[in-house]
This record gives sequence, structure tokens and C-alpha cells, in this order.
Amino acid sequence: MSRPELATIALVGNPNTGKTTLFNALCGARARTANFPGSTVDHHLGQCTIAGAPLEVIDLPGIYSLALDLPESVLCAECIDGRLGTVPEAVVLVLDATNLVRNLQFASTVLRRGLPCVVALTMTDAARGAGLVLDPSSLARDLGVPVIEASGRTGIGLTALATAAHDMATRQAPPMPAAPCPAAEPGTAACADWAAGVFERAGGRTMRASADPLTERLDRAFTHPVGGIAAFALTMGLLFTSIFWLASYPMDALDAVFGWLAGVVHDVLPAGLIADLIADGVVSGIGATVVFLPQIALLFFLLALLEDTGYLARAALSLDRTMRRFGLPGQAFLPLLSSHACALPGIMSTRLIPGRRDRLATILCAPFMSCTARIPVYVLLCGLLFAGEPWKAGLAFVGCYALGILAGLGTAWLLRRTILAGDGRAMVMELPPYRRPSLRTAFHVARDRSQLFLRNAATVILAISVVMWWLSAFPKVQPSRESVALRHVADASIAAGDEDRAAELMATAKALDAQTQARGSFAARVGDLVQPAFEPLGLDRQLTMAVLTSFLAREVFVNTVAIQVQSGDDVADPGTMESMRAATRDDGSPLFAPATCAALLVFYVLAMQCLPTLVLTAREAGGWRWALLQLGWMSTLAWVAGAIAFRLAAA
Amino acid sequence: MTTPTPPIRIPLTQLAPGRRATVECSALDALPEGDRCLLTAMGLGERCEVRLCRSGHACIVQVDTTRLGIDEQVAARIMVTPIDDAS
Repeated sequence: MSRPELATIALVGNPNTGKTTLFNALCGARARTANFPGSTVDHHLGQCTIAGAPLEVIDLPGIYSLALDLPESVLCAECIDGRLGTVPEAVVLVLDATNLVRNLQFASTVLRRGLPCVVALTMTDAARGAGLVLDPSSLARDLGVPVIEASGRTGIGLTALATAAHDMATRQAPPMPAAPCPAAEPGTAACADWAAGVFERAGGRTMRASADPLTERLDRAFTHPVGGIAAFALTMGLLFTSIFWLASYPMDALDAVFGWLAGVVHDVLPAGLIADLIADGVVSGIGATVVFLPQIALLFFLLALLEDTGYLARAALSLDRTMRRFGLPGQAFLPLLSSHACALPGIMSTRLIPGRRDRLATILCAPFMSCTARIPVYVLLCGLLFAGEPWKAGLAFVGCYALGILAGLGTAWLLRRTILAGDGRAMVMELPPYRRPSLRTAFHVARDRSQLFLRNAATVILAISVVMWWLSAFPKVQPSRESVALRHVADASIAAGDEDRAAELMATAKALDAQTQARGSFAARVGDLVQPAFEPLGLDRQLTMAVLTSFLAREVFVNTVAIQVQSGDDVADPGTMESMRAATRDDGSPLFAPATCAALLVFYVLAMQCLPTLVLTAREAGGWRWALLQLGWMSTLAWVAGAIAFRLAAA
Repeated sequence: MTTPTPPIRIPLTQLAPGRRATVECSALDALPEGDRCLLTAMGLGERCEVRLCRSGHACIVQVDTTRLGIDEQVAARIMVTPIDDAS
């Protein structure tokens, strides 16, 4: 028995027509986010089955016209015209019954292209609520294609729609007479007159734009110059508090699972290269990134709910003027705020920004915002810099956040006047009606974003983690005499029954081994080689190595320094701070001189030092050149500002 | 016999909140092409009727059932003819 041929259909329509809800209802859990080769604009791909025959469904981004010079419009036009890899055999035009005249004008441009087409008429329940009852058969006569009332929320008309689309795609449906669509573009008088005629023949009546008191009141409040920003700050405060609170449990659990997995690998496999590679390279590398998954999934779930309510569009409108001063659109505020938790969800949420230049500028400046991974470094360095002066340490801590924000906004301003120069897209946006959010849609968004994030973790980040592990693990260095002696004493303690003392000695021996290995590794040799470059920041060989090893993730700095000075890595522990304060360089001078602390603090506020962010930038910005530019700019700025801070503090 | 007064054309931002107006044929000519095409495709095309819901830095207009948020500088370059609501 031959397998039925896979037909492909594309869903197209204006934004906010219920197109993606329809797609999710048709394809359910089998959908995934994808990009056409060379494009950074997302579309969704999914499959459904109609009478045993598979149907591939492409959910294209919502657009207002196929002729606009916008990435989403270009993508849709190229897809419908078969200029991309996947050629749809039929198009499902999703038209919003509550806004039919404008939707019909868009439909005319799609119908003129002559592809087999079916119209899905959505939001008919809302239209009926407003006293508007439309006749699908009249619309079908005028448009020359089948018109089916459908709703992704209630499931009404889904089977009929999918069957009609499948029949169109496989040429089983009888051809209908071509619609006499006007050649004029949407918005012109000719096109508007044609659409109004079709609308009226279907039973529609032109209604004067009337005021909905609740919408008016909410809009006034949410776009108020002061009240709007206060409402946004409150909403975001609640959002991020919820994320921190809710995500901390699964994050701790994931951290424990990966730690346990690494332990199991060491226990099960014979000690050696393979065990070290899997446990310390693969498991730890993936674990360090995957631990952020709950934060990302939760952020996108809650953001999708918020966006679905119609609130986010109002917030973007209200913040636009402030952000424009730095060359960014109002929509950039949210990604920049998210980046204070972690740059990864921040960069991923730049997808809310419509203009490419605006989006790129936001991606490139987002990692300047002080993320949670910087906190241990700030705590350590502020504590060392202002020992016994908590209020000064607190001020320095706040200053770090301010410096990051200033550097980020300054970078955006500079980018928009140099390599990303050009008019940003003026703030012109549709404000969708306020409505109850869909949990299903939010779930699909969170799942899509999580899958994208995991795909990154499982590919590039894994590969680079393994390389970094190799650099720090090789060549193998023999344990020091001191470590061997400690182990002998530990063995003697076990024999004497003092197991606590033995465990303590073994832990010190292990720390010494790690220090010896770190000093003899390829990474350390690179550190020795690179140290002169960090001399202007007052860094010696040990601190240079700590900076280099923290290239993967900046929080590693604290662990590396802790290993080197043989202390714990809990910066809240006074003992740890004392050990670090007492640590010395090879020449006997203090390791953390005040000027060095100031230079390091400035360096860590401004430096990239986060591999997952770099990989994500390359993906979201559409190429490694943007990621390398980001790395180069942030590293240069960090180095220059760090050197200036060192000079000023040493003076 | 009196000569009919020519319709008054004013920037959208000068319309009082809650008032209606008609977008004239050449009303969007002062805008950059990208903004003009986008506004037209969003429904704010020639001869359409709009209602100003909110003025100020974040300008909100309603076209049919659609509410559009428009930057004040863009809105100031859209010329409209006020409609006498009593008519």
C-alpha cells in the first residue's frame, strides 16, 4: 500500500486574527518553530492528519501586506510565491470577522496570486456579539474560494477547514471562478471600495468607530506618561518576582540532578580520560546551561499570557518615547529588563521587536545589563574593596548596575548612529483588544522557546564546553608533594578513627590537586602568555587565569580564585573573604589590592564572559559576525574602562 | 449666495480626543514611504474615518474596530478633516 502524499498548506493573515491559535488547534504538540534558510524570521511547522492523509501546515507570521519592506512581509511573499525551500500547495487565508474590510483588502493581494485558497473566517462569535452576522456563502461567491467559519479556541469548523485545505492542496476540490479582486494595493480607495462591497453583500454594515468605555479607561491608564510607566514597573516587578520564586525550585533540582549525574559517571566508569570527559566536560557543560531552562520556560509562558491580554502593546507604546532617546523602540524595555535576570531569556524575548535594526541593537546591548550570574562576583569584589564599610560596598554594588545600564544604552545609541544607522521603524502598532489569555497558546510559546534553547545547549555550547574542559584538564599534572603528604595524614586519621579530620584533609588535598592541575594546564599556559595584556588592569598570573577560565561563565571567577587561594567559594562566608583578602601574589604583594578590585569590578560589569549568551546572539542576530562584534566591543570596553579604573584607584 | 467653506485640514494630533475625522487622499504624503505603506496596510488609508481616542506622546486612534497606537511625531504629519458629529 502506497503512503499518501504529504500536502503542504500555509496559514496567512493579518496579526491578531487567531491564526496561531488555529494552527495550534490543528497541529497540537507536533508543531515546532523553524526558520527558512537565511531568514531570522520565525514560522511554525506542524502536521495534522485528514482522513488518514498527512497535511503539513506552515504558520507564517502575521502581516498587514505582502508588499511591505519588512522581514515578515518579504518572508510571506517569498513562501507563497514558492521562492523558499518549502512550496505550499494551498493557502489558508485567515480573516477576522470583526475587522473584515481591512482583512479583505489583504486577502485581495493573496487571491491575485492564483494559488488554491481556502478562507478561515475567525472571531465570528465576537462579531455576532457586536450584532454582525456574516454569510460565508456570499463571501465565497465574491472571493471565488471556499469560506469556512473556524475557531481555534472552540474547535468549531476545524475539521471542515482542514479537509477543504487538503482537497485544495491535492487538487480534489472543483475549481471556483476567480475573484474579481482589484489590482490596487490595500488602503487605496479602489481596494477599500471593493472590500466594503464584499462586506456589505455578506450582511455586514459599516459601523462608526465607537468607544468601548472599559477599553478607553484601561488605555488611558496604561499609556499615561507617569501612571503607565508605574503600571509597567509594577507588572514587571510581579512577573520577575514570580519567575525568581517559582523557577528557583526546578533550577535547584536540575542543578542537583546534573551534579548527581556527574557523580554517577565518575562512580560507574573507570577513572580516567573518558570519565572526566563525560562528567566534567559533557554533563557539567550542558548542566551549566540547562539549569536556566525553568527561568526561560516560565518567562515565556508568563510573557505570552501577558501579551495575549493585550497589555504588552500598550506598555510598549507608553515606553517608546523614553527608549527612542537611545535609539531603541519601546518594545526593547522588556528584553533589557529580563536581561537583569539572565541575558539568555532577554535576548530571546527581542523577538517581540518588529524592526531588524532595533532588534539587533537590543540584542547587542542586552548583555551589559547585570545578570544574576554577576552577583557573586560583585559581592566578592565589593566586599574586598570596602572591607568593614558596608554602606560603601552597597553603593558600589548599585553603581555596578548603573554602569551596566549606562554602557548598554550608550552602546545602543552608538550603534544606531554608526553600523545600525537609519530610521528605526516609527511606533505604529495595532493595539489588540483586551481579552482573557489562552493557556494553550502560552504553553506552546514556552515549549517552542525552551526547545530552541535546548537545541543550542545540545550543540554549540556542548562542543565549546568540551574544548574548554580539555584546555583546563590537560596536560595531566602530578599531585604536589604537599597533597600526597595530606593524603597520607588523612589515611592515618582514618586508621585512628577520626573520619571528620580525614575528610577535611582529603578535601584540602583535592583543592590542592585542582590548583596544581589548573596551574599546569594548557589554559594556564595561555594565562601566562596573556598576562601582560592584563597588566594594565593590575592582574597577575593567577587573576588572569581566573578571568580566562570564567570566559565560559563569569561566576566561575569566584570558584577559580577560591581554588587558587584554597578557600571556600561561598562569598557570604566571612572565612572565605578573609582567605581571599590574605591571599598573595608570587611576589608576596596582596592579590586583591584595592586598585585591582576596582579594575576587576569594572571589567566584570562590562565584559561579555558568558558563552551561552554569545552562542545565542549568533543565532538570534543571524550570524557569528554579530556575536564576535559583541564580544570584541564588550571586551575592549571592559579592558579600557578596567585600565582607567585601575589608574584612578591607584593614583 | 454664500460660497461653501472649504473643509478644514488639521494634523491628527490637533483633533480633540473623542472626535472623528476623515483621512484625506494626500493626508499621508508627508510621511516616509515605509510608515505610509504600513499605516495604509493597517487600515488608516485614504478617505477612512478615524476617531482619536488619546492624544499626547502615545497617540491612539480607532479605525473601524481596530485601535492603532501611533507615535506623536507620525500622528502630527497625518492630515485629517474633522467630522461634525452632529451631522
